Amino acid sequence: MTSPAWQRRRTAARDLWREFRTNRGGLVGLCVLAAIVVLAVLAPLITDESGLDVISATGTPLQPPSGEYWLGTDVDGRSVLLLTFWGARVSLLVGFAATVLSVFIGTLVGIVAAHFQGWPSAVLLRVTDFFLVLPSLVLAIALSSVLTKGVWTIVLAIGVTSWPSTARLVRAQTLTIESRPYIERAKALGGGHAHLIGKHVLPAVLPLVLANTTLVVGSSIIAESTLSFLGLGDPTSVSWGSMLQTALSSGAVTAGAWWYLLPPGLAIVVIVLSFTLVGRALETVLNPRLKAGR
Amino acid sequence: MTTSTTGGPPAADLDERRAGTSTSRFVAGKVGGALASLVFVVVLGFLLFRMIPGDPVATMTRDRPTSPEQLARLRERLGVDEPLWRQFLDYALGLLRGDLGTSYLYNRPVATMIGERLWPTILLVGTATVLAVALGMWLGVRAAWKRDSTFDRVHTGVALTLWSVPQFWLGLLLLIATQGLFPSRGMRSPDLPEGFLAETLDVAWHLTLPCLTLLAVIYAQYMLVMRSSLLEEMGSEYLTTARAKGLRDDLVRRRHAVPNALLPAVTLVFLQFGMVVSGTVTVEAVFSWPGLGLLTYDALRGPDLPLLQGVFVVLAGSVIVMNLLAELLYRVLDPRVRAA
Amino acid sequence: MSQLLELRNLGVTYSTGGEAVQAVRGVNLALAPGETLGIAGESGSGKSTVALSVLRLLPRSANVTGEILLDGEDVTTMRWGRLRAVRWSSASVVFQGAMHALNPVRRVGEQIAEPIRLHTDLPEPKVRARVTELLEQVDLPSEKARSYPHELSGGQKQRVMIAMALACEPRLILADEPTTALDVIVQAQVLALLGELVAERGIGLVLITHDLSVLAATCRRIAVMYRGEVVEEGPGDEVMARPRHEHTRALAAAFPTVGDPASRFAPATANPLPPEPDRATPDEETPGLLAARDLRVTFRDRRGEAVHAVAGVDLDVRRDEIVALVGQSGSGKTTLARTLLGLQRPTAGSVLYDGRLVPTSSAGLKEYRRQVQLVLQDPASALNPRHTVYEAVAEGPRIHGLTGDERSLVLEALAAAELRPAETYLSRLPHELSGGQRQRVVIAGALALRPSVLVADEPVASLDASVRGEILGLLLRLRRELGLAALVITHDLGLAWNIADRVAVMYRGELVEVGPVEQVLLEPRHEYTKSLLAALPTGTARASERGV
Repeated sequence: MTSPAWQRRRTAARDLWREFRTNRGGLVGLCVLAAIVVLAVLAPLITDESGLDVISATGTPLQPPSGEYWLGTDVDGRSVLLLTFWGARVSLLVGFAATVLSVFIGTLVGIVAAHFQGWPSAVLLRVTDFFLVLPSLVLAIALSSVLTKGVWTIVLAIGVTSWPSTARLVRAQTLTIESRPYIERAKALGGGHAHLIGKHVLPAVLPLVLANTTLVVGSSIIAESTLSFLGLGDPTSVSWGSMLQTALSSGAVTAGAWWYLLPPGLAIVVIVLSFTLVGRALETVLNPRLKAGR
Repeated sequence: MTTSTTGGPPAADLDERRAGTSTSRFVAGKVGGALASLVFVVVLGFLLFRMIPGDPVATMTRDRPTSPEQLARLRERLGVDEPLWRQFLDYALGLLRGDLGTSYLYNRPVATMIGERLWPTILLVGTATVLAVALGMWLGVRAAWKRDSTFDRVHTGVALTLWSVPQFWLGLLLLIATQGLFPSRGMRSPDLPEGFLAETLDVAWHLTLPCLTLLAVIYAQYMLVMRSSLLEEMGSEYLTTARAKGLRDDLVRRRHAVPNALLPAVTLVFLQFGMVVSGTVTVEAVFSWPGLGLLTYDALRGPDLPLLQGVFVVLAGSVIVMNLLAELLYRVLDPRVRAA
Repeated sequence: MSQLLELRNLGVTYSTGGEAVQAVRGVNLALAPGETLGIAGESGSGKSTVALSVLRLLPRSANVTGEILLDGEDVTTMRWGRLRAVRWSSASVVFQGAMHALNPVRRVGEQIAEPIRLHTDLPEPKVRARVTELLEQVDLPSEKARSYPHELSGGQKQRVMIAMALACEPRLILADEPTTALDVIVQAQVLALLGELVAERGIGLVLITHDLSVLAATCRRIAVMYRGEVVEEGPGDEVMARPRHEHTRALAAAFPTVGDPASRFAPATANPLPPEPDRATPDEETPGLLAARDLRVTFRDRRGEAVHAVAGVDLDVRRDEIVALVGQSGSGKTTLARTLLGLQRPTAGSVLYDGRLVPTSSAGLKEYRRQVQLVLQDPASALNPRHTVYEAVAEGPRIHGLTGDERSLVLEALAAAELRPAETYLSRLPHELSGGQRQRVVIAGALALRPSVLVADEPVASLDASVRGEILGLLLRLRRELGLAALVITHDLGLAWNIADRVAVMYRGELVEVGPVEQVLLEPRHEYTKSLLAALPTGTARASERGV
């Protein structure tokens, strides 16, 4: 009996896509993201990795854009274009990995806190509220300063500090779903917790989680660049945040080396803005309340 | 259609005395919750900086050569050889006395250092928040009321873009763009002019860029929040009532829609306070503004764990206190009694 | 012509997403001062659109054609300034669902004063005196001016709305479903109040509702709307007594008169009912299939005070009978139903099924629920919008791991719920079905478990009048053909008269009267049952005739 269900899901996805297409911002964001992801994945194939090595760098330090170095060079004489290119890999990796962690924790906590009654959910709710108001970046700074530096430390620090907003959203949505009479009907039919969550709550919550996920990726990328900028990133790899850190600490900013500053920053803005646009478009398409307001 | 209740106590509707009587319970509950959160912050501070590092001394000295004697002195000063419960007790009792330990890098009491740096941060955060709330609310209301107009499109677009900008990068950009126009570091000029007015102007002069940077990102948040909050109110039936009464459009908006939309927005604004505090860390680092954020930045170089711990506890604690105030204020503003 | 309101060839078209939907077509209506005009119709008939168009309150997507003459002046061509001056001072509106039509964060006194300040130059003390006077007119103490809407009951909010509508002494009041969310007794009070005001002041009243019996009691003239058009118009008693259009007949039949032998065991259904099978004469002594013994449910409210939702109830539902549980909202009837189903834990007392105590363990409850099934009030929300009819009906059998061919089980249940041909419904989603079809799917989902008792909580309250009779007919047929017992919870005494064998009247958590339908509804013994019967709209008609 799976074929009608799959068919229905396919038509639902098609309807979603048709509606999503009408949102110009979301569509542009999606195209930009697709291009960036493809370029980042293909980076080892289309560029020469050895250009990242400080020792074998060929250019003169802090050279403005020229025919040879389109975006100029950094303090070590490396091509800024190449650095920005490779920085995308770290930023995207950290952004996605931290988001998976954060959304997983958030969804789990949100559903459990809303579905079950009694003191465990009360405690979960209290903890969520606590982490929600806490300055998450300060907490992430604290975490990454005490752990060994590295990409996965950053992922962990962002992931475990950014879940509360997802948890809050999922909890609210779960509560809305659980107040619907069809949940009462399912209970009266004899359905247990697993049935209720698996058949009714999760399918209704997941679309909103998806929209939320794209927004979380954006803020995770900003958080990654901020932590790297503060010198907490992986010292062995190049990311957009670490480029900006070097730019400030080496005095390149005060020397007016704008070509060193602009590319990584603009890259962050473009990628985060794209994620935000896609997320908002998805939210409009998926959130019936917003749709009704149109 | 009857309004038969589907679960809760059905007779609750009959009771009209609900409002007011439970105020003291509400306040007690919120204050209790905030106290619990503060205790949690204290415990978290201990966990983060004493337990997770395993050996705090090794963490603090990982990037520099240290002689065995230095290490031994540091171990003794931090008391890391004591049992954990003893360490926690010392730390907690110290907090009660206002003792946050001694900085490893500066060899000064952490509490004193935080005290010195507190006011510049309050000045920066306060100015930026007040301006951001005013600007964000105003733009948000206008954008929502004229939904899909050019005004709405332009300002929502600008806000979304600013929201995607890392604050520190915006600061660096402003520094380069205004090269020389504004002072790039600190809070006062070294050759301090005489007189109160001159001093104030000098501080304002230094404040401009960091404040603008902080403002740019947080007003965008407030505007988007206010816009969606008002949009949600716009379909409400009481607005049709107000229109039917013959009120002008701007009166319908000012008297009926905005007061209702403001309430959820106010909560969100206060919830975002933690984000503003986070923002100060990088902005102060970029502009060398002598506040708690710069102190955090400096402490990271060690890492100076006692100093970081102190800053963390103070920042997190003040966010919790701000939130408590917001919740109490909300209770005053909103006559509707909401279940906790 | 001294008509107060005249609609000439009124048409309203909504254009959304490139599609044009005609909501109202060619409506001609007139109302003289001091007259009442009732507009009846089901949801989507365009009746509310007519009301909103009079003050040009429709959303921007609406396009209005024709003329709307208010005191001889065409509203559709008025300038904005003139329109604002006319709004509320010439004609005001009592909106449906007063809970949403009042601003939640402003005191009601302020909201009543607002139009007075706007349309008159009265000095502030006089405005306040006027608010007090208005509140007195609607029988509310003047302190209520300082209340916020959430501190008032539904009836009080509706009174505030009426006081607000009277504020500028308009000549016309448009009341859009003014009593829909209210209990029968409060509904009677609000209708009486509106009737008095019309009689005393000579204002014109347009009363819009889906409940024809409400109009019969209050309105001299009635217009019936169906799919955007007025299909019948005439004097109230004539339309009620001799409806010409079949839709009017359907509306009238949906609200049967209690005591009318013609509607006893005869809900308004198009399919013929099977004959009454031979039933053993009910024995008062035998315990029911489903029984409650001294059942109590106590909640704690926000201040921690005990609220006795169910306060010691003894009730039996026997094989082969339909019991109607009647009561106002807040009487505890829904809580009682949930407790019987094991969805709510009783504070004290017990629920028995077939003479045995209903288990509290989750495995035991699951087994029990194969026998006792639930049908909810609003079928639109009782079905998961993402599940097809097949999945919705198969949900129960899957949970219980029933063996056998799932597909034939589902088809059988759908056929039993009179969805024919059953195959065509399998892959459809709830939003593709009408309200009545959805309720049939919910019933089929319950039948798929082959239960012996159905508990139905307001099964027709959210359905349109013409579908109501069909669903009630189905319940009666299931009882007669399958011997399925049912406990039907309702606020509607007419429903009990239509299908029930016995009726139990619930008031403040207790059953005040239980017995055969004829006995309880025709010769009520308890004061509360009497007041419920007196509040029926036909009862108010007699009362107001005497009063005027």
